[in-house]
Parts: sequence; C-alpha cells; structure tokens
Amino acid sequence: MSRRPESERSDWTDLDLLTREEAADRLREEITETEARLGDADPAERELLETRLRALREAAEELGSS
Amino acid sequence: MPLQPWMKLLSTDDHLIEPPRLWVDRLPAKYQEAGPRIVEQPRGGDAAPAEVWSYEGRIYPYIGLNAVAGKQPEEFGMEPTRYDEMIPGCYDPKARLRDMDLDGVWGALCFPSFPRFAGTVFLDGQDRQLAGLCVKAWNDFVLDEWSATAPDRLIPLIILPLWDVRECVAEIHRTAAKGAKAISFPENPVPLGLPSFHTDHWDPVFSAAEETDLPLCLHFGTSGNAPKTAPEAPFAVTIALFGCNSMYATADLLFSPVFHRHPQLKVGLSEGGIGWIPYLLDRIDFTWERHRFYQNVNQDGRPSELFRRHMHGCFIDDEFGVRSRHDIGVDHITWECDYPHSDSYWPKSRAYAAEVMADVPDDEVHRMVELNTRRLYNLPA
Repeated sequence: MSRRPESERSDWTDLDLLTREEAADRLREEITETEARLGDADPAERELLETRLRALREAAEELGSS
Repeated sequence: MPLQPWMKLLSTDDHLIEPPRLWVDRLPAKYQEAGPRIVEQPRGGDAAPAEVWSYEGRIYPYIGLNAVAGKQPEEFGMEPTRYDEMIPGCYDPKARLRDMDLDGVWGALCFPSFPRFAGTVFLDGQDRQLAGLCVKAWNDFVLDEWSATAPDRLIPLIILPLWDVRECVAEIHRTAAKGAKAISFPENPVPLGLPSFHTDHWDPVFSAAEETDLPLCLHFGTSGNAPKTAPEAPFAVTIALFGCNSMYATADLLFSPVFHRHPQLKVGLSEGGIGWIPYLLDRIDFTWERHRFYQNVNQDGRPSELFRRHMHGCFIDDEFGVRSRHDIGVDHITWECDYPHSDSYWPKSRAYAAEVMADVPDDEVHRMVELNTRRLYNLPA
C-alpha cells in the first residue's frame, strides 16, 4: 500500500461535501433569519418558527460542540 | 405560495457516505483484508491522519469527496477527509432524517459515494467474487439499514455487478424482493469498457428492470467522463457543462434500440438540470425526420415521443428549466436536493424550492416535487 493517495477517479472530482464548519455557518445564518421573522409572525406561525428555531439551535450546538 | 405546507418534497438525487464498517461487517472473514476498509494516511503537520478506503490494496483517497485528489497531503486540511470532520447526516440515517426535517424535505433517493454513483468502482476488482459480494453488501446496507430506518423516506436505490449480466439480473430480482425502488446505472457504459446501449448486451438487465418496475437512474459522471475542454481549463468549465453528459445519455438512448425493445423501461436523469431538454428534443426530432432513412435507427416513432414515454429529469435550481416546464412536460420533471454536497441549499432547500417555483401553479408544483416521483418510483403516498 502506498503512503500517498493514488486514484484521482471519482464521479464528482472536486465537488465537495458540506463541511461541519460550513454546515454550522448555514445553521447560524438560518437561526438569525428565523429569529428576525418572529416579530412579525401571528401566533400560529410563531409556534412553527419557535419549533424550527429549537431544532436549528440543537443542530448547531451539536455541530459546534464536537 | 404554490409550494404548500402539505406537499412533501421528494429528492431524486441525494448522496450517502458509506460508514466505515459497511463491508467489514458484511464480507466473509477471508475477504476482510482485501475488501473495502478504512485506513489512515498522514496529512502532515499536526493534522489528524486522513481516512481513506483501501480495496484490494488500492487506495481510494476519498471517503465522501475527492477534493484531496491530486493535492499534497499538507493541502488536505480544509476538507473533511475524516468521518469526524463530516456532518453526521452523511453516513448516519437517523442524523440524515433530522437534517432532512430541518431542510423541509420528506424523502431522498441516495447514491453511493466510495463505490461511485453507479457502483463502477467494483469494475476495478481483480477478484470478481469479492466484487460481487461488495455490490451485494452495499445493497444490503441500503435495504436493511439505511432505508430500513425510515422506509417511506429513505428511498432504496441499488447498484449492479456490471461485469456480469446474469449476476445483474439476479441482483435486480433479489433486491426488488427486498424492496428496492431504483437501479443506478452508468449514463454511458462505453468509457467503462462495457458494451453500449446500441448492442443487445444489456437486454436481460433492462428486461429485469421492466419486470420489477425499477427505473434506471443515470447520474451524470457515471460514465467516468466529465466534460473537460483543456487540461488547464478551470473546473468551472466542467461544472457549467455537466448537463451535457445528460444530453449525451438522452440522445444515445433515444437513437438506440433500448426503448423499442423495452417498452416499459423507465429512465431518470439524475442531476444535470432540465432546461436543455426542449432544445435537445427538437434537435433530435429534426435529426430523426431528416436523417433516419439511411441509418440504423428505428423508423417508427419520434424520439421526443420516446422521451415522454420513458424518461424524466430533475432540477435543483434550474429557473430556466422551470419556466420551460410545459415544453419539457411537467410530468417528466422531478426535484432534487443533492444533500450533502455543498451545492445543496440545506437547510433552506424547501424555502429555495418555493422561491424557484413561486410563479408555478400549485398543482404543477405538487407534481414536480412529489407526485411524479411517487409515480415513477412506485412510492405510495
């Protein structure tokens, strides 16, 4: 076995995955945008947004904590 | 808002990253060393070693991406080359479901990563028995573990032992009996050293797909050829031309005997957009009308009619394609997300889909994001 990677073959050379950092950034951005919408929301929409915010914060914390 | 809250987004093109023990846990003891397994390679400096696949002693330097290919080990650092650098939704089905929920996506058809999108890495195998077991192991992982986590949400797609038609047929029937919903197949087998769509080589495979009502999914890139104009051309050229692979596959199939011999066969073009479809169908029909008489092509049906009987495409952010939907045929369009690749809009896929389709009537949106996929892939509501 060689020390260096050998194969350059892939079906999507250089198309990359979301990194943890990029994913966490996207979550933080979405949290900020969702928080901003809370002020104008009616009670029903507010409940939905708060549920989404809890899920987004939980996911962001998990990515940020490991 | 045409994308209503009760419409379930079904993605026809997502990806999973194989967990490190996928093959170790499923291959016989004698194949543990040669079968695909994760090994570590130094990345230089203080960085933790990269995790790469070893298969029959060959190193495949990507566990979920190929961004490390061609780079010096010290350049590896920015991309996830270890499982603990990835988001868990790449390889953990429960984490995937959570990420889909955040994204407003109900269902996802996931292509392989290490095996390449149509399992063609196993064509490299020196030991065909091992390669066949590897294909079965991937399919069993998808059916028994990945999709079993949420059978109505994680849509099982299988790969085939492409070097052996009889084995392909057997695997289609075996996995269909276990609940498979789609088959990943190369967009063009020829660059892989396999017979073309213009031969009768694949007829038993296509017949098996018809008998089991499993669509073939042709993901761009599965021929092993990406559009490349010059060695020094920026990768942007290749990205901009990705849809050309789907155009090649469409023209190739429509002028081949495949759909004439297999009237029930369904084909999905995975990734590659849809905006090019009306132009290509016009061009193919023109070619057929003017040039069919002296060529070995079917004389009876217009290629565009074949397309509308057999094929469908998908889009993420093809606004022109959405505007052209009536020229394509609304029932031939599905939606895709492409998670966990960085060109996906996660966690805003639903919001972005709503934006792209803001001017589309509700019933057409529903067909494109959910109903067409349910019909084509036999997914009950």
